[in-house]
Amino acid sequence: MDYVVEMLNIRKEFTGIVANDDITLRLKPGEIHALLGENGAGKSTLMSILFGMYQADRGAIKINGKEVRISNPNVANELGIGMVHQHFKLVENFTVTENIIMGSETRKWGVVLDVKRAGKKIEELSKRYGLNVDPYAKIEEISVGMQQRVEILKMLYRKADVLILDEPTGVLTPQEIQDLGKIMKNLIAEGKSIILITHKLKEIKEFADRCTVIRRGKTIGTVEVADTSEAQMAEMMVGRQVSFKVHKTESKPGDVVLKLESLNVKSSRKALALHDFSLEVRAGEIVGIAGVDGNGQSDLVEAVTGLRKAESGKIYLNGKDITGIPVRDRIESGIGHIPEDRQRRGLVLDYTLAENMVLEVYHKPPFSRGGILQNQAIRKYADEIIKSFDVRSGEGAVSSARSLSGGNQQKAIIGREIERNPVLLVAVQPTRGLDVGSIEYIHRRLVEHRDKGNAVLLVSLELDEVLNVSDRIAVLNNGELVGEVRAAETNENEIGLMMAGVRKEARA
Amino acid sequence: MKKSALLLVFVLVFSVLAACGKSNKDGGSASSPAASSPAATESASPSASGNTDFKVGMVTDSGTIDDKSFNQGTWEGVQRATKDLGLKEKYLKPAGTTEADYIKEIGNLYDAGYKFIVTPGFKFETAIFAAQDKYQDAKFVLIDGAPHKADDFTAVVKPNTVSIFFAEHESGFLAGIATALQIKEGEAGFIGGMEIPPVQKYNWGFQQGLKYANDNLGTKVTIKKDNVVYQGTFSDVAAGQQIAAQMFDRGVKVIFAAAGGVGVGAIKEAKTRGEAGKDVWIVGVDVDQYADGMKKDGKSIILTSAMKKIDQAAYDMIKAETEGKFPGGQTLTFDSKTDGVGIPAENPNLSPETVTKVNEVFDKLKSGEIKVAGEQGDLIK
Amino acid sequence: MNNRIVISLCAVVFGLLAGAVLMLATGHNAGSGYSYLFEGGLKNAERIGNTLATATPLILSGLSVAFAFRTGLFNIGVAGQLLVGGFCASVVGLGLDLPKVLLLPVMLIVGAAGGALWAVVPGLLKARFNVHEVVSSIMMNWVGFWTVYYGVQSLIKNPSSETESKQLPEAATLKAAWLTDLFHGSYINLGLLVAVVIVLVIAFIINKTTFGYELKAVGHNRDAAEYAGIAVNRSIVYSMAISGAIAGLGGVVMYAGNASNIQIGILPSQGFDGIAVSLLGANNPFGVLLSAIFFGLLYSGRGFMNAMTDIPPEIADSIIAIIIYFSATSILIERLLRRFKRRRANAKIAAVQEGKVKKSYVDNDR
Repeated sequence: MDYVVEMLNIRKEFTGIVANDDITLRLKPGEIHALLGENGAGKSTLMSILFGMYQADRGAIKINGKEVRISNPNVANELGIGMVHQHFKLVENFTVTENIIMGSETRKWGVVLDVKRAGKKIEELSKRYGLNVDPYAKIEEISVGMQQRVEILKMLYRKADVLILDEPTGVLTPQEIQDLGKIMKNLIAEGKSIILITHKLKEIKEFADRCTVIRRGKTIGTVEVADTSEAQMAEMMVGRQVSFKVHKTESKPGDVVLKLESLNVKSSRKALALHDFSLEVRAGEIVGIAGVDGNGQSDLVEAVTGLRKAESGKIYLNGKDITGIPVRDRIESGIGHIPEDRQRRGLVLDYTLAENMVLEVYHKPPFSRGGILQNQAIRKYADEIIKSFDVRSGEGAVSSARSLSGGNQQKAIIGREIERNPVLLVAVQPTRGLDVGSIEYIHRRLVEHRDKGNAVLLVSLELDEVLNVSDRIAVLNNGELVGEVRAAETNENEIGLMMAGVRKEARA
Repeated sequence: MKKSALLLVFVLVFSVLAACGKSNKDGGSASSPAASSPAATESASPSASGNTDFKVGMVTDSGTIDDKSFNQGTWEGVQRATKDLGLKEKYLKPAGTTEADYIKEIGNLYDAGYKFIVTPGFKFETAIFAAQDKYQDAKFVLIDGAPHKADDFTAVVKPNTVSIFFAEHESGFLAGIATALQIKEGEAGFIGGMEIPPVQKYNWGFQQGLKYANDNLGTKVTIKKDNVVYQGTFSDVAAGQQIAAQMFDRGVKVIFAAAGGVGVGAIKEAKTRGEAGKDVWIVGVDVDQYADGMKKDGKSIILTSAMKKIDQAAYDMIKAETEGKFPGGQTLTFDSKTDGVGIPAENPNLSPETVTKVNEVFDKLKSGEIKVAGEQGDLIK
Repeated sequence: MNNRIVISLCAVVFGLLAGAVLMLATGHNAGSGYSYLFEGGLKNAERIGNTLATATPLILSGLSVAFAFRTGLFNIGVAGQLLVGGFCASVVGLGLDLPKVLLLPVMLIVGAAGGALWAVVPGLLKARFNVHEVVSSIMMNWVGFWTVYYGVQSLIKNPSSETESKQLPEAATLKAAWLTDLFHGSYINLGLLVAVVIVLVIAFIINKTTFGYELKAVGHNRDAAEYAGIAVNRSIVYSMAISGAIAGLGGVVMYAGNASNIQIGILPSQGFDGIAVSLLGANNPFGVLLSAIFFGLLYSGRGFMNAMTDIPPEIADSIIAIIIYFSATSILIERLLRRFKRRRANAKIAAVQEGKVKKSYVDNDR
């Protein structure tokens, strides 16, 4: 059997960490091959090696049966390997064509840029693979999904035969994901091969032919997707059985805890990011906010937590107007916040775990007396959180936060926030980038917090998460509330359409 | 790669150890002369008999040893003397310009056996005041200053110290004569650094020189109030250039620049104009600055220089010590009588007649026939 | 922490090696050069005193930089803050007729306030308008330079010299007869005690107080501090003010301790040396104390090395500069050390190729 790409017994080590330890991946021509693994399992490292950004310490790479040395991305390009990164590498104010030809410009008489010819070629490619991209549109004018196609076109323009797609669905709406699926099918029909990096089992099941699962830097196995269930793949990935369903009872909503009245918030770029937004969250319920990334979620969260000023409108917590009060006062009136970016907002990475556990309460007794930190009390408090939330670290409370894995960092933050027992917990992307096991645990904790009679506002880009955990779902599109639905009475399709801005009434 | 890195570390560590070991040995023996220095006190007591076995040290003022000014002048005198007399010499450069910095370097010279110490500049006044008591078996020459206590300006010159001043006004006077004779007719200007006595005396002397020539030698060179400027620093080259440009634009033909770095700017401006064929001149200060004003055609825009012979002062004091005539406890003024001031011996830009006439005036100065005032009187600034 | 000490010591060794290379390259004996260098700083009580006195302003300027570093700010305006602090204290010292026990504390407070004022400007600009403090604090250096230039000439000019201020009276200097006698006539002064006390105070603030916790949190991660409800902008202003106050004190000990008046037209190099002191001292108050003393030793021993060998002063200056700047490259050393460790660890794994060894080296790494 012939393979386009073979990565054999790859090993790669970084300072003190073995990222890849004996990984083997074989890609057949014309297949979509999923690479599945938890965060930190070594997927990105492996692909970076294939794309020439790192060199393997051990092992061999064969392209079409011939052993090669890929010393940098240019070599990878020459070998017909292209990569679409998670974060696009596009120049905003250039056109699609300009972006695509950047680095391999077509020239007339050696010096003059021949954009026209390139544009024509791109148009052809776009038609052939069903990409439907306008070569002369500017990047800033087209949607995220379209930008992703530009990245794919870029690879095709450079005559790539093997395409690596790194977590391509993270930024897309469900409909866009379906479109991407069609595009991938077109691509393999034309003889390309695709490596799809993901940790979303559903997508693998839907799109991939085969799947290689890696765990902690090792290959666990390669399976035929058609013959394998999602649960089986999850088990391979995590190493134990996991449950996908969040077990919870029917919610018993109580008094209104959070009330937002026609809130208007400007983004950091001074554009109106949230307009005329009203919402109520009651005690004992979890309200999920669904929406494609960048539709006003972070502006909403920052306005509620006090990190950003509301232009107009009111925010009430338990009936008290908190619209203008500073962050600390909000924290003290009972708002907990699991921030979207745990490393940027949630933790001081250079502080110890113990110091991080008192980030919001360090100034209050028993942690501080007369302005002096009480290390013993802090330590004791941190140890409790570490124990009850199962935060694993090298040296317990004195480990630096930086040394913890992403999952444990997240557990620490969640522990810190839940331990304060806030009446309103704002949880933003609480499981982003975590493995199935951690996700399960965190979801259970959120539900428990609800069951204690608190309100939870859950903001997530993962539709599954919103659907599974929330009791009620509010959908955001372009800074506006599209509608509210009960989680038990809706489905992915309906939410997906709402995320795209189609209102429920309009469809009815 | 790995091995070579390891090897490198070993080599480095080893060489450090070796260096340390060696230094300990060296240190043991070499430190002894310094340690024994207090025992050498008897040889340095002020005696009438000549002393031909001593080492000459110098501490520099702010600026480098090749500053074309005080440091360089002093050092050249020291070097000339030690070469002629077969002595050892060394200069040290203090880390800063505070009294503590100066005393520290004097102490270092002393500990290393350099017990004849020359210091240029008034900034050393308080340091020498302290040092002359602290190191009584050493000799100090303080050029352009007199030792005094920090908060009391009464000069205290101890028997192991000589304080030297110059008659800058006489130097400026001679330069003024030479300028007037050479230019014959036109406007002159003056750029000073800070408004401090030595610079002021240059200015006043220069004005008196111009006037003397106009009155007695038939020249017509004038100086206007606008064209006498103290810039305020000795370092602002750009400002010097600008001030000179303004003066030249106002029709000034020659500028006497007694202003350190500010003067450098003035010379730069004159050079630029000189290259363009304009007839402009600068009179240099302290040392012969002829070479600094050299144009591409090999001619200099430095007309002449008002010199004080710092090197001569340093030379004379060292020589005096070898002859047992060190004038300890005295305050000396180097003037025309001692050939301590004057214009350079070689003046390519002055005509032979001018030189002759200047020399005649110089002789009259020496004889006391002409007197130059060291005070402002009714002169400009 | 231990790791940091090793890194700093390595940096010093590299610095000395680099200096030795320069000595050898210019044809001088590095061994005797260094022996005179250290002798010059340590040979007798007076020289030890001078070394400590030279170190005194460096302790405070280094601490000023280190404090700012710890709170995420790069205070490059220490030189100007030293100058302004020293100037303010001098004006008070010359103007107030108080007994020494009262006058000195007043001068220290006024000096600290002057330095703080000079540092608060960049702090406010950063907090309000997000102007980078490096740019604004450099600018403040020159504003301070010319302000003091003008201030000295118009307020406290020395009647006999255009370029310096009046000499401070006995009651207004940090020089103490008992200290001078103890160190056989050295210019060591009470400034050293001030510096040591400030080191202790700052160490306490940084490590033990909620205030220090806040400032460090802002320094490490402004976003997280904001998230935790810490008043970020206020912290930035406080950090700069404290950093500037320390520098201002440095100015007092420099101009009213080591010297007894201010010379204008000079931006004190101690301000910039503070950056190197802080780096070598790993931004730790006690590390700063030690590294400042090391720098003091180099500066005060240099002249003796010069006098005893044929090394010209210019080369000696370069040697000191090289040692200092190599010493300050602890980041480089850290990287080298880490690579070295990893290599060794890799070798171990290859040899034993079992997980147990791997665990042990992971532990070592921490």
